[in-house]
Amino acid sequence: MRRTLWLLIALALVVAYPLVFTTPFQQRLGALVLLYAIAASAWNIVGGYAGQISVGHVVFFGCGAYAAMGAYTHFALSPLVGIPAGIVFAVLIAAVIGRPTLRLSGHYFSMATIAVAELARLIVTNTEYLGAAVGLSGPTVARNVFDLSFISALPYYYLFLAVLIITLAITWWMTRSRMGFYLRAIKDSERAARSLGAPASRIKLYAYMLSAGLTSVAGALYAMMFGFVDPESGLGILISVKILIMAALGGAGLLFGPFVGAAILVPLEEISNSLLGGKGAGLTFVVYGAIIVLIARFQPGGILALINRLWAKRRAKPMDESIAQEAGHAS
Amino acid sequence: MRFSHVIGLFSAAAMSAALVGNAAAQSKTVKIGGIFPMSGNAASIGVHVKHAFDVALDIINNPHPELGNFPLAKNGGLAGLGGAKVEIVYADNQGSPATGQNQALRLITEEKVVALTGAYQSGITLTASAIAEKYNIPFVNGESVAPNLTERGFKWFFRVTPIATDFARVYYEFLNDMKAAGAKTDNIAILHDNTEYGASVANTLTTAFKEKGIAVALDVAYATNATDVQSQVLQLKEKKPDVVIAISYTSDAILFAKTMQALDYKPPMLLADDSGYSDPSFIKAVGKISQGVFNRSSWSVGPAGSPTAIIAKMYKDKSGDDMDDTVARQMQALFVLCEAIDRAGSTEPAKIQAALKATDLKPDQIMMGYKGVKFDDKGQNILASGLIIQLQDGENYVSVWPKASAEKTPIMPYKGW
Repeated sequence: MRRTLWLLIALALVVAYPLVFTTPFQQRLGALVLLYAIAASAWNIVGGYAGQISVGHVVFFGCGAYAAMGAYTHFALSPLVGIPAGIVFAVLIAAVIGRPTLRLSGHYFSMATIAVAELARLIVTNTEYLGAAVGLSGPTVARNVFDLSFISALPYYYLFLAVLIITLAITWWMTRSRMGFYLRAIKDSERAARSLGAPASRIKLYAYMLSAGLTSVAGALYAMMFGFVDPESGLGILISVKILIMAALGGAGLLFGPFVGAAILVPLEEISNSLLGGKGAGLTFVVYGAIIVLIARFQPGGILALINRLWAKRRAKPMDESIAQEAGHAS
Repeated sequence: MRFSHVIGLFSAAAMSAALVGNAAAQSKTVKIGGIFPMSGNAASIGVHVKHAFDVALDIINNPHPELGNFPLAKNGGLAGLGGAKVEIVYADNQGSPATGQNQALRLITEEKVVALTGAYQSGITLTASAIAEKYNIPFVNGESVAPNLTERGFKWFFRVTPIATDFARVYYEFLNDMKAAGAKTDNIAILHDNTEYGASVANTLTTAFKEKGIAVALDVAYATNATDVQSQVLQLKEKKPDVVIAISYTSDAILFAKTMQALDYKPPMLLADDSGYSDPSFIKAVGKISQGVFNRSSWSVGPAGSPTAIIAKMYKDKSGDDMDDTVARQMQALFVLCEAIDRAGSTEPAKIQAALKATDLKPDQIMMGYKGVKFDDKGQNILASGLIIQLQDGENYVSVWPKASAEKTPIMPYKGW
């Protein structure tokens, strides 16, 4: 009950944010937080709940981005049309690469996903149809509202918020379903789960495909907002890493962990770049990196796990059951 | 759930940053946004462009009578705005189109810049200028060559640099002049690598030459970062073209020079396409056995005492490096923008846009070897062109064509070693 109340308050604050902070840069910052929160939440399904650390998620991000820009470039359609196409591609690719790679455990799975991502980047760089090294661009001057090419960041903000809510709702529903219990069992000990009859390979593959589809939506939204994708910005390994760090920093395996991570890292990156970027080469990344190192050193379970723990301590009463469960998971 | 507090905190930080920025702004300064890579794998570009812009601001903001007719040099500040000083607000694009666009938005809305320049990488120029277009802020680009940038129907985007089709014209006219002077230029071979750069330039040249009625007799492609190019050189040796146009990155260019010496092959004319052949390490490694190679560039130091020579010296004193073609083109874009603001006599974006459209700079008013600066409806500089330079007597390129900006006369045939 209390949890629902806090959720509603948080939601109200997020909804009100762009109405309180009204400059274009602040609104855009808010939209970017939500965008990365979508991508990180999608990663969380397979990386957090199933414990399979994919470092190649940018492949699915790229599927969405290229599908959206491709729909415009090759068929003069609204980039929105690319979203379902991107999802289909992403889920198919996830199925094809997931079957063999999900058998690998631990680091080997991560390495395999990196290899796939780099391969995709190289293939696209040499594919004329996908703009090769030059990239594909979207509608620069909006023909109609469906081109989603707005001056203000406000429409993007609420669009991204809606998609984020859907993503989190799917994740929540998944954790409550039979699949969620299987995933947690697999994460704790895959061998034990298998011996108890959990269809581990199949469940991991489903989680991977679901995660891939949602990540591709984030990619498509990204491409629509910026109106451009090239191999580096759509399939560069750094995007995967960024998504992963956000989820881990906020709290992997927690429903709102990735959102918290995005809400910290995106403003940190943009603001440190704004304040320091023009002055000295690379100073931004020194500050950005230092904060990540500090959090990783002192709070490896993620910020949200820390907040949950402090919250639990402050109240002498027994903890709310679900929070206790989540905090227990992260530590 | 304290994350909303976190958002608030960071937003407050953003706001205070914006307030500080505004407080520092004075009524007598004209703020221009400069978006460049200051970190990532192109960070050296950002370092160089800052030195170059410091030199440019020195010329604009302080009296420099020694530069003669050069625009904005004579008096301090912009005369059209009562001597207002120009200030550059830099932003790091981090090599990412997304960051470039975010920073463009910040410069426009928080720093209140009146115009933008940058952003080096074509993809970032594309996204950053898209925001400028939406906010009706002029964007003057000096160095991005992707053709599609000026094909978007933008009204606020202006590009000063020549692009591949312009280079094709330079080659064509140069070869024509050489022919008139008695050289044989009928049989052309193009040697290129199979990268995006090599393939697209070769393609543009072949198409452009065909339109003029010249067929490229031989097209020799090779894989970049080659370890052996004997078969390519032997192919050229056997077909004996009059002109070999070479499009290569540095390591391949060096390998070709060595292989040509080993196989004793000298084409009558070797014409290179910038990149590898302009790299100082090419000249250091094989300059002595590549004497007489022609190359294209839009930058040339010019005779001692000329404005370009003075600017080159100022830049060298500031940065410790020689001025190169890229940084010179970026600097030229800033001069074009400031000249337009001065002529507009206003910092209103619409007036600057109108002034940019009316820009008509003559060759003696610019530092690059262009025929001038004048924009077409798409925002492309129609007078953008290049020079032909030649490696003569040692390790320095000297400009040899067109005659108006030539330091020396072209030497034929290719001497080699």
